[in-house]
Amino acid sequence: MDASLLTIQPASPEPIYRQIVEQLRRLIAGGQLAAGDLLPSVREVAAFHAINPMTVSRAYGMAESEGLLERLRGKGMAVAATTRPTQTQAQRLALLEPQLQALARHARELELPSDAVLRRLGRLLEP
Amino acid sequence: MNAQLAPAAVDTTSPLSVAGLRHSYPDGEVLRGVDLALAPGSVLGLIGRNGAGKSTLIRAMLGLLEPAAGEARVFGQPALRMDDQAKARLAYVPQQPEALGWLTATQLLDYVGRFYPGWDARFAGKTLERWKIPPNKLLAKLSPGERQRVDLIRALASQPELLVLDEPAAALDPVARRELLREVALRAGESGTTVLFSTHIVSDLERIASDIAFLHEGKLLLHCAADDTKERFARLWLPAAMSAAAPAAALSRRRHEDGSLSLVVERDERGQWPEASRLTGARVDALGLEDLFVEVAE
Repeated sequence: MDASLLTIQPASPEPIYRQIVEQLRRLIAGGQLAAGDLLPSVREVAAFHAINPMTVSRAYGMAESEGLLERLRGKGMAVAATTRPTQTQAQRLALLEPQLQALARHARELELPSDAVLRRLGRLLEP
Repeated sequence: MNAQLAPAAVDTTSPLSVAGLRHSYPDGEVLRGVDLALAPGSVLGLIGRNGAGKSTLIRAMLGLLEPAAGEARVFGQPALRMDDQAKARLAYVPQQPEALGWLTATQLLDYVGRFYPGWDARFAGKTLERWKIPPNKLLAKLSPGERQRVDLIRALASQPELLVLDEPAAALDPVARRELLREVALRAGESGTTVLFSTHIVSDLERIASDIAFLHEGKLLLHCAADDTKERFARLWLPAAMSAAAPAAALSRRRHEDGSLSLVVERDERGQWPEASRLTGARVDALGLEDLFVEVAE
């Protein structure tokens, strides 16, 4: 994986370490990163994005403790081999939680009845 | 210099600290009791509006002015009586560079380089070129921006343990600014350099700061970890009908024309937002650093 695969938005209300963890989660869930893929070093990510290396370490540490990444001796961080390729439905749904909350909020602000929103969402979700 | 240094105070572990700092100019009080200590290896972003007292605070922290009250320490030594060894371990880039105008940039860097044991001449030469400084023009003939860039190169090439930058961003174009941020971030993260960086351009700090301090009207409004500014604080909006339920403790409180209220609130020790945020119609918005600063400094 290359450090340029990550997008950092410093001005976002989401702290940078969380932005990194979220992106790793999505890249792994989406299959762009496979088990065993090596991650760029903390220094590479920090230098590429001009961010504090401690922020990158914090993100990697959090991803490691969540089981997304594992530390390979002498090689650095890699996508965990034990990453459950099929996370439970609840786990996958939890990944959508922020977007769902935002959607619910917007719908309330627009005073839209929930059945109308759900109907539209249902249509979007149809294969 | 002085062999009888005062006994170590509480925070000798901090490379740079002040306690109870006050200072006035003829037209009023600029610092009204500031306590601040930087942890080794941290990058503290000092944010404040123009005239908030940032430069005065920095100068007092470094012993370049004698405050009306309070104490400043650098590497544990009183800032006003630092020895030469301590001075060689720190680099300071003021907003108004005080370069020796009769030298060229190359001459200046060759000259000052001799005073620093860890001088990185290769870095100095390379960065002079990358930041497009005419190497053989007299410093007096350079633009203020170019002179500040020479000062930044001098500061970084000395490989300081403590780096103090007062509004460095103004002198740099976006590419050079990014390079400066990268350099500062890597040195803090890898060599343990402690950095104090003042600015009113907060997006620079969001990249590299580990800690943030808001200076407003001579006082620190907030001093916390950079990630905390985004996770621990938020804006709570309450419609007019509910404004009576507003929590008493808020960092700022603003009533809008329609009677609704905006407050900056903090999570409690269990990570919960104040009670009022759970009322129907109430809204909690995450804030970026700039929004948070504008909310609390208004």
